[in-house]
Amino acid sequence: MTKQTLVRALTKFQTLTRSLCTSAATSDAALKNVTKSNFEPVLAELRRVVRESDFVSIDLEMTGLTSAPWRECFEFDRPDIQYLKVKDSAEKFAVVQFGVCPFRWDQLNNSFIAHPHNFYIFPRQEIQGDGLSYEFLCQTSSMEFLAKYKFDFNACIYEGISYLSRSQEEEALRRLDSVYKDELVDPSSNLREVAETELVRMADILYAERMKNKISDWRAGLLRDRNCGSDFQESSVDMNQKFRTTFFKLRPALAVDGLTSRQLRLIKLVTEKHFKDLAYVHVTGEPSGLQPLIVYTDSIEDRDMLMREVKACRRKEEEMKIKAAVGFRHVLDLLSSERKLIVGHNCFLDLAHIYRKFFGPLPLTAEEFVSAVQKYFPYIIDTKVMLNSNDVLLRIMKRGSTSLSKAFHLLCSQPPATLTSSGLPNAPRVKVEVQVDDQRFSNWNSGAKHEAGYDAFMTGSIFAKACCHLGIDFNPDVPTVDLLHDEKLQKYVNHLYLSWVNENIIDLKTGKIAAESLGSTNNKRQNLKILFQNMVLLWGLTSKVRAKEFRDCLLKVYGTGSVTSIYHLDDTAAFVQFSKAEFVSKFLELKDNLERVNDPISILHPLSKLLEAGCVCAADYEIYKEICSSPISELLFTDQVEAIGLKLKTRLELAIEIKRQEEYKINSFHFCEDRKDMDPETNATGTHSSCHFPGDELVDSLFPVEARMSK
Amino acid sequence: MFYKRLLCTQTSVRHHPHPNQWPIKQVTKSNFSKELEELKTHISSSDFVAVSLQKTGGCSVPWQRILPFDTADTAYLKAKTAAERFQILQFSVCPFSIKDSKLIAHPYNFHLFPRDELKVGLPSYSFSCQSSYLTSMAKQGFDFNECIYNGISYLSRAQETATKVQIGNMSHNSYMVKSSSVHSVADSVFMERIKSRVKSWTNACKTSNKTEDALISSLRKLILGSELHGSRPCLNIDVCSERQIQLALETLKEFVDVVPLRVPVKGGGMQAVRVVLTSSKEDKILFEKELQNKEEEQNKRVRGFREVIDLISASQKPILAHNSLNDFAFIYSKFLTSLPPTMDDFRISLHLIFPHIIDVNHLMKEIGPFEKINNIPAAISYLKNRFFAPVDMEIPNQGEANINNIHGNNVLKICQLFVKLCTILKISSEVSEGDGIQLSPSLQCHANKFTPCSNSSEEPIDKDVGIWTGNNRRVGINNLVFMWGFEGGISANKLKGLLHDSHEVFSQEYDIRMVDKTCAVVVFWNPGFSELFLSTMDSARVISDKLKDLISGGLRVTGYETYKKVCEKSGLRRSNLAQCLDEALEEETEIFLEAKSREEQSLIYWNNDETINLEEL
Repeated sequence: MTKQTLVRALTKFQTLTRSLCTSAATSDAALKNVTKSNFEPVLAELRRVVRESDFVSIDLEMTGLTSAPWRECFEFDRPDIQYLKVKDSAEKFAVVQFGVCPFRWDQLNNSFIAHPHNFYIFPRQEIQGDGLSYEFLCQTSSMEFLAKYKFDFNACIYEGISYLSRSQEEEALRRLDSVYKDELVDPSSNLREVAETELVRMADILYAERMKNKISDWRAGLLRDRNCGSDFQESSVDMNQKFRTTFFKLRPALAVDGLTSRQLRLIKLVTEKHFKDLAYVHVTGEPSGLQPLIVYTDSIEDRDMLMREVKACRRKEEEMKIKAAVGFRHVLDLLSSERKLIVGHNCFLDLAHIYRKFFGPLPLTAEEFVSAVQKYFPYIIDTKVMLNSNDVLLRIMKRGSTSLSKAFHLLCSQPPATLTSSGLPNAPRVKVEVQVDDQRFSNWNSGAKHEAGYDAFMTGSIFAKACCHLGIDFNPDVPTVDLLHDEKLQKYVNHLYLSWVNENIIDLKTGKIAAESLGSTNNKRQNLKILFQNMVLLWGLTSKVRAKEFRDCLLKVYGTGSVTSIYHLDDTAAFVQFSKAEFVSKFLELKDNLERVNDPISILHPLSKLLEAGCVCAADYEIYKEICSSPISELLFTDQVEAIGLKLKTRLELAIEIKRQEEYKINSFHFCEDRKDMDPETNATGTHSSCHFPGDELVDSLFPVEARMSK
Repeated sequence: MFYKRLLCTQTSVRHHPHPNQWPIKQVTKSNFSKELEELKTHISSSDFVAVSLQKTGGCSVPWQRILPFDTADTAYLKAKTAAERFQILQFSVCPFSIKDSKLIAHPYNFHLFPRDELKVGLPSYSFSCQSSYLTSMAKQGFDFNECIYNGISYLSRAQETATKVQIGNMSHNSYMVKSSSVHSVADSVFMERIKSRVKSWTNACKTSNKTEDALISSLRKLILGSELHGSRPCLNIDVCSERQIQLALETLKEFVDVVPLRVPVKGGGMQAVRVVLTSSKEDKILFEKELQNKEEEQNKRVRGFREVIDLISASQKPILAHNSLNDFAFIYSKFLTSLPPTMDDFRISLHLIFPHIIDVNHLMKEIGPFEKINNIPAAISYLKNRFFAPVDMEIPNQGEANINNIHGNNVLKICQLFVKLCTILKISSEVSEGDGIQLSPSLQCHANKFTPCSNSSEEPIDKDVGIWTGNNRRVGINNLVFMWGFEGGISANKLKGLLHDSHEVFSQEYDIRMVDKTCAVVVFWNPGFSELFLSTMDSARVISDKLKDLISGGLRVTGYETYKKVCEKSGLRRSNLAQCLDEALEEETEIFLEAKSREEQSLIYWNNDETINLEEL
């Protein structure tokens, strides 16, 4: 007895503490987790919250970042290549969590109210489509990272909200259109087809015959009933269990249950073949899926009308299914249609994911991409850009790393006491309160770092504080804040890091990419000037033939100072930057020559030793772009080039061939002129074009790209 | 947090008690080493080992499934692509024996995750998932958190060799010293030098123990290059090739009280042989044991789950699988080394590791060759309806296994199915363990058959393929033509209607099967018709208006070779077949053009010579 009461008391105590926890406006509280089970009501609420918000911060968790080590960002990546790498990442990996956190300025409370939402999403296939959009890559290290922060994979896969991108939805509707158009135009076509193919087996013929009798009995019964107006109930009973009479759209119908698909096919066949006034249809039944029905109609016109009606109905259902499959995209549609200010932290990749997953395939260039993004999201601010571009903020960040958690720690979680004691009494302050469901928290900490919802909240808080530091006034006297048109923010709006490694900032409005920061004095990285036209890409390197050896060797050939630097892509590939652009073509020619010619001089050439193995290839910078734009991702760069295949190799060789031919051309023109001088009598017009390289122009015109590449 | 807990409980509720509940041991990182020991004894005491894998995906596009008209080679290439792309999340192993028509099974289900335990970027940088596969695993109540947080990692054999270098561990290999045949003079000199050096060093070490004063002994040690390995003195001998290592090890065999160790250098290559001096025979045994233990521990850490594969391989027991080609392509690529380019190479090297592989799906074909039974439950119910072959199953000693867990029960179904099939087909399931494992002749003739489509007894038939699963009519691959460039989503019958009358070949018997929405395969039952049709399409000869219309509408055709090529190019196979074939054809033309341009070049050189000659005149 005592034990029981004790237990009861304990549970009471527990519930008490729990209720205390939730109501207490202090410590860690639940994040608003959203899965498919509570998506609908949350979405309805979110619509309201977003509409009222001043800005919305977002954050994404993905299954990976790079599909191969050489696809990581490097300092020697040209902006177009940086974009290709982002594009590759967004195309291959899945988004598993999407944090959305609307912030609203609350005049009464003199604080921002944040509504963090943590959506679990999963690319579950809800409607038919190409299988490829439902396949995604996982980077092992990213999965480990998520696991380290206790990401709930079960929630994601079991309960994650699925989605369709706009282009997927259009595609599905188009497919639906074509299916139903075909049938409407020519309703008899399937009929004939079926009639041709079926009824071969003896068993089928017998079964069809029996069904024919059964259906005709039923029909006769119906007609009799109608004439006599009685006995209806009885006739419906005398059929066996598998058939029962019902009504469908005010017409008498025979419902067929518990038959195999083959039997149903035969019934359909028989109905269509032998009964002009009966229609075989499938309708969405109550208990499970489709209910097959044989419906009696008054005339052929009535039958066709019924068929059309049923089809329209089915189409509507399919459409509904597609609409339902839109799922999480409703959130993005909402953000887009409300034209709110979107805030992210280093969010170019996030945007690429958003575009790829919820709008359509990514364009080929960064410029096209940003202009497409602007259409959906006209105002975007990146807090990482802000933190690195403003001197005041930089000072707060102590000119160190601007990672999300560090920025949040430095900007947002300083207790008020230290603020006053730090000699910055005038440091502007802005309060952020969190609202989850109907509860408010003034010092909210879900404790879940790297949960997208919490990260989004941190991003938004950083933005609010940063705005304060920029001198944007949040005080009770101001009824609303107009962040979109605040001139202090203008220089940050729509500026994102294309790649943080290179500090290349892209202007979403113009598509212009600039390497300098937005007017701060922060020049901590004095980058070595990288000249892409001076670079040669080497691949096929092994542990025996390393890039270092190449450099030493090249220094011997072209003199000290000819090679300014070496950049490694991975163990098998590297870039060599020459001091002058002409070395690039010289080197490629030399390499080609050494590999072809076998005279003593070339054998003694210092490069020969390195090329001996014959597996080191070289090309100019443009090849790198081509390789990055391939959808293939092999682990090693050299394997990648191989996997892209023959095409590239032949193209390279061809490029060299063409170059060689051009040289010959020049030489032989030279000869011709000599000869002309010697013998003016000769008919020079014929010799000029006919004897020299008739194939030349052909090749040139066939491979314009290659010809260009060789130059 | 609260929400998560809620979800978890939901997950556990989801497991309905299943009619056939069997206790299957679930193995994760935490209980791996304990269960491994147990599994070892079970494997050695059992006659067979059944395996079954749960993967993150199969094929992303319909045509990449293994189809009836695939030859062994193209089927293998498809399996290879899948194996290289997807990941194994569950690996069930079940050693079992059949005693007095009773099945005694020891099922284990291992949860795998390719975690980078050694921080060297292995075993896998990334892997693909198909959401449909994950969803269906979720329907069975699979715990993804458990798998990703606590799954067992592994390294393949090839990866282990590669990392040995990276990690730079010393290895003591007693096994690989074989007296090499011929020594050159240089070899003998090298060996003599080592011998005398080691001799004087051992002498020095031994004498120094007794009388010499400390200074002299340490000086001597310095000069001889002596160091300490643990508490024992050791000497490093520099070598510069694998050959020299062999020679050094061979020489050192003569010394009873030294233990040679190979010292790898970080980043590659063997740079030295370390000779460790032991004080007595007992000490030597002790030291060797020490080394062995250390190595084993290290191996367990490095190999992880691969220990299980190695155990199975070492036992040489016959292995049962369902759709063995796919599963073994996965096993080979994840746990052994990268997959070879052709089926034959694969078959040969796999045979060295697993000599007896029996595919229950292949055995099924013995009973219902034309039935479309491609999964295990369907096969079991098929047999249940037609034959009386009850199987009594016993699963001993699985005390703590969770009854509610159905993960891995596929492997038990494979066992059951096998026993049933043996009874029905009157195959003796006896295994004799004389000189190596011997299967009964009736079973041996079903071993190592990888392609379920090939019914004939000789495996590399290759040239003949089927078209439909439920049909045994076979045709040479030369009679197949791939056709695409028509309206997408068209039915085979409609396409037939389109082709009717367009060419004389279509007046005779032919069939069409849609491969996917974009591409069809046309079977000409009359030999020679395919060539005729292909050459008509290639040339601009007089063709019927109907065909002309189709061609101008984008219709394209090609032979089986192009399809083969598409299967070989694993990287580009991510779209529909029509596009792949188009690309492959384009490449062919490019090669053709290149060859042409080469020809022209030779012409150019010739011209060039001529000009020079002219000038010389």
